[in-house]
Amino acid sequence: MVELACLVGTVVAYGLALRLKARTTTPVANPTLVAILLVGAALGLTGLGYGDYDDATSPISFLLGPAVVALAVPLHQERETLLAHGRVLLLGAAVGGVAAMALGWSASALLALDDDFALALTTRTATSPISIAIADELDRAPALSAVMSIMSGIFGATFAPPVLDRLGVRLPVARGLAMGASAHGIGTARMLAESRLAGAASSVGMGLGGLVVALVVPGLWGS
Amino acid sequence: MRVARTLLGGLVLYAFLLLGGLVADVLGLPLPGSVLGMVLLWAALEAGVVRLAWIREGATTLLGLLGLLFVPAGAGFVQFVDAGWVWLGAVAVTGVGAVGTIVLTGLVVQRGMERG
Repeated sequence: MVELACLVGTVVAYGLALRLKARTTTPVANPTLVAILLVGAALGLTGLGYGDYDDATSPISFLLGPAVVALAVPLHQERETLLAHGRVLLLGAAVGGVAAMALGWSASALLALDDDFALALTTRTATSPISIAIADELDRAPALSAVMSIMSGIFGATFAPPVLDRLGVRLPVARGLAMGASAHGIGTARMLAESRLAGAASSVGMGLGGLVVALVVPGLWGS
Repeated sequence: MRVARTLLGGLVLYAFLLLGGLVADVLGLPLPGSVLGMVLLWAALEAGVVRLAWIREGATTLLGLLGLLFVPAGAGFVQFVDAGWVWLGAVAVTGVGAVGTIVLTGLVVQRGMERG
């Protein structure tokens, strides 16, 4: 019974969050973030342990793996954007990714954060399913990695476009790739509102940005 | 038909997930199997070994649900609510980092494209 309630409750929380999202334009009303907070509040109120909830909802989490694999589809669909500007896009994703990881790692050291927080901050520019997979791989905290990645998306989608405007970054491909590489799905939704090309570049950025983090972090972590 | 195609797509995606994990193990690569599976599937699509039509329904369905799929993982933050002020630092780094990274990446790509 408890298992079923956890599954149904999670889906209901997400459904409620989607309805809230439809009524507002603020990116802070990100459905995943709202659903996470609702579930967190429900766990706090009912006193149910996270371990039990996590076990009960494993059918949902199980689908994350195939979903990461499915990210190959937008990369394939946007191959023309990729091929036309391949080297520049790779360079941008690599420079941005390395700078982001360096900032996350050094800020964590400076603030003397523990390993769970440090990894989550280092991998925050990878989309959640990828940062979760890295945290699983390294036996750290998938939950923190998920939350930091989502927050990176919300902050990026909310505050970066006006700064890009001011600095004269106008090319749709440049804006899109940069947003996708740090703000993932949330940034991609924001870029699609600008143009299809910016949205396509953002999907490519999400894939490349996640790949850069996944290639670098597991190899260097703890070594 | 649509259900069958979605299931077929799901099976192909799952096969690549397993393949990614296997290759990572055999080669001793420190990469999540899912990420390697994504790269392998991408290569297979480009090479024409896997047709987009086989997986489109399954992939679209899964990616449409993506926002729901990481709710259980994210809810694990409740294990860390006691961390207190640490959250403040983490949120600040994430906010400054997101805008900084996006601006840096955008500038690099725009400069690169202008140079041709």
